[in-house]
Amino acid sequence: MTGASLGAGGAAAEDRVAQRLHDARAMFGRSLHIRTVDTGSCAVCESEIRLLLAPHYDLHRLGLFFTPAPRHADMLMVTGPAVRAMDTALQKTYAAMPEPKIVIAVGACPLGGVYPEDELAHGSLDRVLPVDVFVPGCPPSPLALLQGLLVAVGRLSEKVSGESFVGSSPGGLDL
Amino acid sequence: MALWLFRGLRKGVVTTRYPAVTDPWARGLPTPPAFDERLLSRALADRLVEICPSRALAREDDCLVLDVGACTACGRCISQSAGAARPSRLFELAATGREQLLKRIAIGSGEIVA
Repeated sequence: MTGASLGAGGAAAEDRVAQRLHDARAMFGRSLHIRTVDTGSCAVCESEIRLLLAPHYDLHRLGLFFTPAPRHADMLMVTGPAVRAMDTALQKTYAAMPEPKIVIAVGACPLGGVYPEDELAHGSLDRVLPVDVFVPGCPPSPLALLQGLLVAVGRLSEKVSGESFVGSSPGGLDL
Repeated sequence: MALWLFRGLRKGVVTTRYPAVTDPWARGLPTPPAFDERLLSRALADRLVEICPSRALAREDDCLVLDVGACTACGRCISQSAGAARPSRLFELAATGREQLLKRIAIGSGEIVA
């Protein structure tokens, strides 16, 4: 793991994310290929990811495809709590992907919700890789994943920063 | 191909870029809680922080901080809060920054004042 690959806070990181998203959007007039890496997930996230290919969601109509080869991938989709045993695999996969590349963290595990940092796991993916889009959920439903993917490629804008999670808010939570 | 075109003209476009209408079953998905701040008290907030298995809740003075990213929507806070927490029914939660998922909820008096 190099210093440059560690997640950094502050305005520089925001500029970097904005630039990455811009580069990715410029490129996504074409199709997008996704490589998934499981860093110790319970496989329920994988089960939901697989459902994206079912006729009901039909991911391919959006020009999004899964690929087994990181060299063909534009997007790295990571599940699991970033266990340390997967460090080498994760870094090799990330390094093998051509620029521009975006990283999407899927589920509560890589967002730091389930496993704390310890000798086995980093506990959160942004300690290891620069994460561009976070998709919460345990597991995120295919619809939530689809929204995350479309946010990542700039076809939808994110909604969660406008939500207050307060019942009486004008955000219109139907409680 | 011609059949597809004919069916498309007859019935309209059947696929959209993103679900234009949310699937009805999506209403039943487990979702993170939304809080009624009037019903939250410090004692209740502390109890919810204690029972949260994924460390998604924390209390900072008069705020309950909900980390939507860490929440697994297990529903423990909803079952233990006597109405102060209910399912938010929000599942389109993708964020471009981790801090977008941290929600601060002001703690009220613990009861609804008429």
